[in-house]
Amino acid sequence: MNDPLARPRPIRSLCHRLPPIVALLLSVTVITVGMLLPPTHWPSHGALLCILLAALSLARVPFRVVAGRLAIFLAFALLFAVSVPLSQGFRGGWEIAQGILCRGTESFLSGLWLISVVPFDRLLATLRRLYVPAILLAILAFMYRFLFVLWDELDTMRAARRARTFDRAGLVFRWHNAAQMIGMLLIRSLGRSERVYGAMCARGWDGTLRTLDE
Amino acid sequence: MARNWSAMHVQDGYLSPEVCAATGLVAAVAVGYSVYKLRDGVSDRVVPLTGMTAAMIFAGQMVNFPIGLPVSGHLIGGVLAGMILGPWAGCLAVTMVLVVQRFLFSDGGLFTLGANILHMAVIGSIGGYAIVSIVRRFFKKPNVGAIVGSVVASWVTVVAASALFCLEFRLSHPAGAFEFRNIFAMMVAIHSLIGVGEALITAAIVSYVLAQRPDLILGQTSASGDTVMAGVGRVTAAGIVVALCIGAFLAPFKSNLDDGLEHVSKVQGFSELAHNAWAFFADYDAIPVFGGQWQGLSVSVAGVVGTLSVLLLALAFGRAVSPRSKVVEAGRE
Repeated sequence: MNDPLARPRPIRSLCHRLPPIVALLLSVTVITVGMLLPPTHWPSHGALLCILLAALSLARVPFRVVAGRLAIFLAFALLFAVSVPLSQGFRGGWEIAQGILCRGTESFLSGLWLISVVPFDRLLATLRRLYVPAILLAILAFMYRFLFVLWDELDTMRAARRARTFDRAGLVFRWHNAAQMIGMLLIRSLGRSERVYGAMCARGWDGTLRTLDE
Repeated sequence: MARNWSAMHVQDGYLSPEVCAATGLVAAVAVGYSVYKLRDGVSDRVVPLTGMTAAMIFAGQMVNFPIGLPVSGHLIGGVLAGMILGPWAGCLAVTMVLVVQRFLFSDGGLFTLGANILHMAVIGSIGGYAIVSIVRRFFKKPNVGAIVGSVVASWVTVVAASALFCLEFRLSHPAGAFEFRNIFAMMVAIHSLIGVGEALITAAIVSYVLAQRPDLILGQTSASGDTVMAGVGRVTAAGIVVALCIGAFLAPFKSNLDDGLEHVSKVQGFSELAHNAWAFFADYDAIPVFGGQWQGLSVSVAGVVGTLSVLLLALAFGRAVSPRSKVVEAGRE
């Protein structure tokens, strides 16, 4: 899997030295401000977007990553935003479309900044300090740990499939094949979870996740 | 491979702050209740099982199901999670998928996380499990029942989630600004097709798993253990609770909607004035946009109070109907 933002990267920037809770609060504040501003007031939304882009460049997020992700996001957001005035034959509904685009983009960029600046495990530690139930955080930590393992396993299965079939196979065959891959991944994951659970119990797992910084 | 965007995720900006708050509260209650249900069981086993299944669903959502267009189909996975893990752990698993999507890929809005959880985890997983359990009772052969149940549950939950989103959208924006009927028709039509795709994918996965490891879906003895709730009485209670939640949440809005249309348009005029005033004065006060929508906020509060009281009633009902048994009754199927 080559999604550049999903796996942790060693990058040093001003933003990375922020305490995670400050970064989280900043991100939430920006999204809140974007939600509360009137959608038709262009200058304020433009200023907010400039602030966000400046923050992203300060956090040393590669421009092609931002542009690529933003393009995919905007494709879907534009589709939905345009459908609102479309439903009225383009006579009205433009304010809603503006609101969708402005607020959605601000929220997306703010989330992009947060995930670049705060590694996921530090985010979980911050959430624990905010009194999120421990079982939820334990499940999240577990999921994050094995997400990449399963993802790589899926990639391996895909490579094996490509090596064994023609890519121009029929639609029904490809659907059947894809569903089989997911089913296989499911069975393997559940078996793996059994083994991991046994290993954890053998090492003294009692249900509470403990980390080094406690 | 870049992350593919799901059309089902609600972004920030689609819904108004009040609707976000209301759906967030309902979602928090549902997730809290799922956590509460799992706490009684073997909680140390729940963590690796649910976490691994959540990771598997997340990975499974990456698989492309080509439809001949530039966009391709994807598994959503709510019903699958519900069938493998049971309703409560399934709800948590889908919630974790949504949280990771938001906090690892910025996919889906932050304030609309509650709405997304409501659509995919509550309706999808809990509601899906309820539908599957009810459909399975009509079939003698458990395999056939499971597959047909997954088909029906997948389609119904996808369409129901899209209908609920349309209603949330309607409540978020003043009535005159867009043609609700057209949007509703468009949304439900598109999601009917998406639901068919989801039904086919889920049925194919379920049939494959039934061929290899039927105990994972039918017996649920060794793999998921005590996290599955026992008996159909509890299941119907869960389904009724979900339906009632949605009804109770929307009923206060619905009763206000018809007689409130003129009020809303008057209020819209007021908030226009507030916008103009805002533009002229200094920008230390950005809240006037709430000024015209206090009615919406109080209605949300009423809806949430109604939902909570119904939930409490349903809890009592669930307890009265079925025994407090943590052991899976595989023989019932």
